[in-house]
Amino acid sequence: MMPLRKFSIHQPSTVAEASQMLAQYGEKGRLYAGGTELLLAMKHDLLRYEHLVDVKTIPDLNRIELKNGALMIGGSATHRAIERSAIVKQSLPVLAEMETKVANIRVRACGTLGGNLCFAEPHSDPATLLTALGAKAHVQGKAGVRAIAMDKLITGAYETSLAGDELLVGVEIPVLAKNQRAAYLKFQLKERPTLGLALFLELDGDNIKKASAVVGSVSVSPTQSEQANRLLTGTRAQVEKQIGDAAEALANAADPVDDTEGGADYKRHLIGVFLRRAFVKALA
Amino acid sequence: MSGETKTDFQIVNHSIPRRDGRVKVTGKAQYVADLRLIGMAYAKVLRSPLAHAKIISIDKSKAEAHPGVYCVVTGFDLDGLNPYFGHAVKDHPLLAIDKVRYAGEPVAAVVAIDERTAFEALEFIDVKYEELKGIFTPQEALAKDAPLLHEKKFEAGALRGFEGDVTAGQGTNICQTHKIQWGDVDKAFKEAAAVIEGDYYFPMTYAYAMEPYVAIADVTDQGVNVYSSAQHPFMVRHDLKNIFNLPVSKVRLIVPFVGGGYGSKSYTKVEPLVAACSWKAKRPVKLQLTVEEAMLTTRSDDAYTWMKTAVDKNGKIIARQAKIMMNTGAYAENSPLVVEKSTNRCVGPYAIANVLIENMSLYTNTVPASSYRGFGCAQVTLPGESQIDELATKIGRDPYEFRLQNAAKPGEEFFPGMRPFDGTLKQDLDTAAKAIGWGTPLAKGHGRTVAVSGSDAGAYPLTSTAVRVHADGSATIMTGSTELGQGSHTVLPQIAAEELGITYDKVNVISSDTAITPYDRSTGASRTTTLMGSAVQEACQEAIAQMVVMAADVLKVKKEEIQSVRGGVRCGEVELNWSQVISKFYALPDGEVIGRSYIRKSGKFAALPVFWEAAATGVELSVDEDTGKITMEKLATVGDVGLAINPALAEGQDIGAATMGMGIGLFEELVYEGSQLMNGSILDYRLPRFSDLPKQVELHLVQNRDGVGPYGAKGGGEASLNSMAANIANAVDKAVGVRIRQAPLTPERVWRALKEKNK
Repeated sequence: MMPLRKFSIHQPSTVAEASQMLAQYGEKGRLYAGGTELLLAMKHDLLRYEHLVDVKTIPDLNRIELKNGALMIGGSATHRAIERSAIVKQSLPVLAEMETKVANIRVRACGTLGGNLCFAEPHSDPATLLTALGAKAHVQGKAGVRAIAMDKLITGAYETSLAGDELLVGVEIPVLAKNQRAAYLKFQLKERPTLGLALFLELDGDNIKKASAVVGSVSVSPTQSEQANRLLTGTRAQVEKQIGDAAEALANAADPVDDTEGGADYKRHLIGVFLRRAFVKALA
Repeated sequence: MSGETKTDFQIVNHSIPRRDGRVKVTGKAQYVADLRLIGMAYAKVLRSPLAHAKIISIDKSKAEAHPGVYCVVTGFDLDGLNPYFGHAVKDHPLLAIDKVRYAGEPVAAVVAIDERTAFEALEFIDVKYEELKGIFTPQEALAKDAPLLHEKKFEAGALRGFEGDVTAGQGTNICQTHKIQWGDVDKAFKEAAAVIEGDYYFPMTYAYAMEPYVAIADVTDQGVNVYSSAQHPFMVRHDLKNIFNLPVSKVRLIVPFVGGGYGSKSYTKVEPLVAACSWKAKRPVKLQLTVEEAMLTTRSDDAYTWMKTAVDKNGKIIARQAKIMMNTGAYAENSPLVVEKSTNRCVGPYAIANVLIENMSLYTNTVPASSYRGFGCAQVTLPGESQIDELATKIGRDPYEFRLQNAAKPGEEFFPGMRPFDGTLKQDLDTAAKAIGWGTPLAKGHGRTVAVSGSDAGAYPLTSTAVRVHADGSATIMTGSTELGQGSHTVLPQIAAEELGITYDKVNVISSDTAITPYDRSTGASRTTTLMGSAVQEACQEAIAQMVVMAADVLKVKKEEIQSVRGGVRCGEVELNWSQVISKFYALPDGEVIGRSYIRKSGKFAALPVFWEAAATGVELSVDEDTGKITMEKLATVGDVGLAINPALAEGQDIGAATMGMGIGLFEELVYEGSQLMNGSILDYRLPRFSDLPKQVELHLVQNRDGVGPYGAKGGGEASLNSMAANIANAVDKAVGVRIRQAPLTPERVWRALKEKNK
């Protein structure tokens, strides 16, 4: 890590002001919400910005609340705050549990959910789980407010569908109904996960009515496969029979490549291992 | 603590809390990074993006015009200096001259008012290269059409520390060769009852220290002053003296606390470059590398080993043969000695009648390799201790019993011409085996193994010291040994306090300032307790001898009438402590006595090695067959240390070494793809964490006072690393029946081996 190049920090007091600053600085500016990834990339001289728009001081942007059967988590809520939130622990324990294992305690103490999602680093734990849970990002820009489904927010490695003047103000995550289950598992050797796997199931007695399996870290963004999700529905016995095919469909969709984290075939194999484990865990 | 010896020691052999603990954990300890000289400038380095290329031109005018920049130094600006250094082989330019030999090699340095300005100016330097074909493995280096890395013949470094001829720079890419041979291996293999043979690979690893390389140089017409994070300041002094063509007396190296070394800070690293910057900028200059830059500065030699071992029908090991190729990277650094040591360390600690080991290190276009904790031993203990288990399995023997049968016995000259074995391997193995529950039932998917290593340690015996006893009865040790975190500055005053019969708190340590502290060759090879410890002990005894004479003078009696007692002297009814002797001698409550010691290769240190560093480790692990992931369940270390001057510190060294060895066994590996290092940051290079350690860890010491050092002590702190990768490979074989001959045993490698087995 090299010394940081000079930059200015701007601290807007409202979301509208932040949006206006982002529009004003354009390519030379970037939203700064925790810095655990952004500043690291800047210290490695991989990114250069003259202006950082610090949204951490915008009042109430870090709020965590339960509203109409959904968790509303503000964009500048830290991982640590989410992990320790009584509301989250009670209403969506799978999210709290995932957050306890994000990176390390130093990152969790500064890093924010909004920053994590908008930086769109391919190894994001939250992005994978939130995609499976059907979460929506609420964003605000010059043109006003809109909601984006998680799988439409992250469009590639380090890429989102946010306009230059838009910022993520919060994430809306439906809490699990009585007949819904979810699990998140990851396989990690290095600083970032090799694989993250999230599974959401909706039950009707012994039948699995609806399923959503999402694999992260093995490719540029969290991936799911309609075919895999279909194969994960039916009676439990049926699904157990089909789970190998579902894993293969998911692996085909993710299409992992060989890299320093492992060969493509190994990652495809891990998708199967962790889909099975997530299935058992979700139904436990 | 096992092997308890009854002693009447008051201070040594006690676990006194480490002296530097409080200042370090409260952030008050000073490292080079904390120091600032008046008028000091800061340097940053431009590194080559190419692995092998001619430097056609460097345009630095734009960078030099950048506000705040004092100067830019390149390989074209070194007229007036002898720009090549190397204690073994003088092959290393302080900045690339005419060509670059690895991606990451320093090509230019900017000196500026602050670090950021220096960094920002780097991109304005325009270097034109002509790319050359690169070679990245020993096999490529030996190919007929391989390009030559080093075109010129080298001067051998005066302090090379090994016996053989320098083979570097003789028109090939061979850096160094070494061979040992006795008996007749071919004949023995023909007569053998069982033979095992295989190819093994030990990876490139990085000796991660929390403190990356850092130095401050101040070059004036008075001489060269350098503050550095160096392990061996006297070795660095020698290189700087040659570069600046100065007498030894005009070069001063000062080493404050060092934030970990593990071999990576042995010998010269950034000091010549920062000194050249100061020389050009005409002011003090600090250069502090980042971790990523440190990873482009040195690494361990990776090793390709073919090994073959044979037993007779009684289970006695009768022969071992090996051919090793080591990848030494772009410059020799200390690799010629690593080659010699890894050759020797293929044998121990077993008595084998027929041995042939041939070793060769090769220059490649990769980061230069050098010393690494264990010094070539881990590289060959992976094959060596793997083959012991493989052979035991083949002949149906318990591997622990099989080791006991063949291990070198105390006093046995198992390595012809070397010091007879001074450890007790049976006790080491027994202790390790018991600690991990040898012979008790084991869960499915679990494996349990023990392994040993014995290395010719202590480096070269050339050490001197002075102990100053002051008029108030306190004492100051002047030592060239560097406190790297290993605890030397706690252990040495323990010895002095014991000898002088004064309290431990009264002994201070002044260290590693080549202008002030007497010469010590190095702080490495586990030698400090044995060699510097002996020197401190002797210096105290010499001071006492002087004070006995002084007491006779003061009391107006003959020297023979003075009896030395703990903390002073007695003459009839009169007792004087050291303070009284000195004060009365000078007739003032001030003044001092200086005790000295010069240790060389003679007397009890005539035989090499200085000592055999022996240790056993035991592990139990489990394997997740679905993912291939290994979980450590139990770990035991047994350090065969003769006598622990400070048992808690000795055990701390062992768990540190074993953890480092575990890292190599499980996940540490620098990965090259073509010319580029792919994981040159600690985000991508996986280091061991506390959470990787098993819940059950037992640390044991065997203390038979069989070492050549003070009170029968000998060195430790490396040996527990050496056997860990083999131990993990052996335990995986026991757990799930796959033999992996390559470290690290990453989940993916274990999974692939299982897949192959289940085909």
